[in-house]
Amino acid sequence: MGTVALPWPSQLALCRERDRLAAVVDPDEDLVRRVGQGDPAAIQALVARKLPRMLALAQRMLGDPVEAEDVAQDAMLRAWKQAPRWTPGKARFDTWLHRVALNLCYDRLRRRREVPTEISPDRPDEGPAPDRGVIAAQLGARVDRALAALPQRQREAIVLCHYQELTNIEAASLMSVSVEALESLLSRGRRTLRQTLADLAPGAEPAAEGERG
Amino acid sequence: MTREGMDETRFGELADAFGGDVRRWPEGEREAARAWIDAHPLEAERALFDARQTDAVLFASPTPMVSMALRDRVIAAASVRAQAAWPSLRKLLWIGGVGWAAAACAGVMVGTTLSGHLATQAQADAVLEQALLGGIDETEVLG
Repeated sequence: MGTVALPWPSQLALCRERDRLAAVVDPDEDLVRRVGQGDPAAIQALVARKLPRMLALAQRMLGDPVEAEDVAQDAMLRAWKQAPRWTPGKARFDTWLHRVALNLCYDRLRRRREVPTEISPDRPDEGPAPDRGVIAAQLGARVDRALAALPQRQREAIVLCHYQELTNIEAASLMSVSVEALESLLSRGRRTLRQTLADLAPGAEPAAEGERG
Repeated sequence: MTREGMDETRFGELADAFGGDVRRWPEGEREAARAWIDAHPLEAERALFDARQTDAVLFASPTPMVSMALRDRVIAAASVRAQAAWPSLRKLLWIGGVGWAAAACAGVMVGTTLSGHLATQAQADAVLEQALLGGIDETEVLG
């Protein structure tokens, strides 16, 4: 008799365990240790590696560039505080930093719900960046508006998995949901985006301005 | 379903959730997914097509650029923190120096007391020895 196929749940459990073990290796470990010792070169390297990621996370979660800068800066300040006492092997530093930044984003989103402000998450971009064409900037702004219009948890799942490129295990852990629930959030979010932005697909008719999200 | 538990339904679920690039799928299922693509290229292409279009749309979202001002603020905060650690280090060194000095003084005092005590002891021993010597001589004289 040939190889006996394991039942589906056992296969899934094995896959997840393999993912979990792979996640323990921390590529930032040495850098964080040097930052903890006050090494200026390591500080600059960690800024180059993490600040753009934190800014992108906050920008897509909050949809506001000023608030995103504040969150990214606060997250990095906490990184400086944490680095001297960082214990390697327990978690990835990048995952920890994402948790910090996400919590800062949650605080701001909660405050927005409690005290409505002038800032709208789906406000248009203030203008194209100098190194992008106008059309690309308009397209990007439309995608950002569609992202901002998603339910928060769906947006969060897409931001963590698609843009931040975290593993499904890491993203699910950060969101305190199961990997199955994460997959469901991702699928629903992507489906909504596909429908909202269907006219952007190659060969599709462009949507009239008034129909745009 | 293949040996690793991949079938058309699961493949479609993964494409829907993680997009059209298998490299971005959960690590534990990538190998099985690639094997399934090799075994069912047409079905796989159909499942991946929509997912790739959604990926392309998502990638149109601009990645925010870090301004020099933000970068400088963050690095300055780290430098301030590193400098703030130095006074406490100096304090520790100062405390350490005071400790060494106190230990040295204590050592001198103990040494002085001990040497005085030993000198007294030596004098007493000498007197006793002299007395004993004297005693022997007397016995010898008296028989």
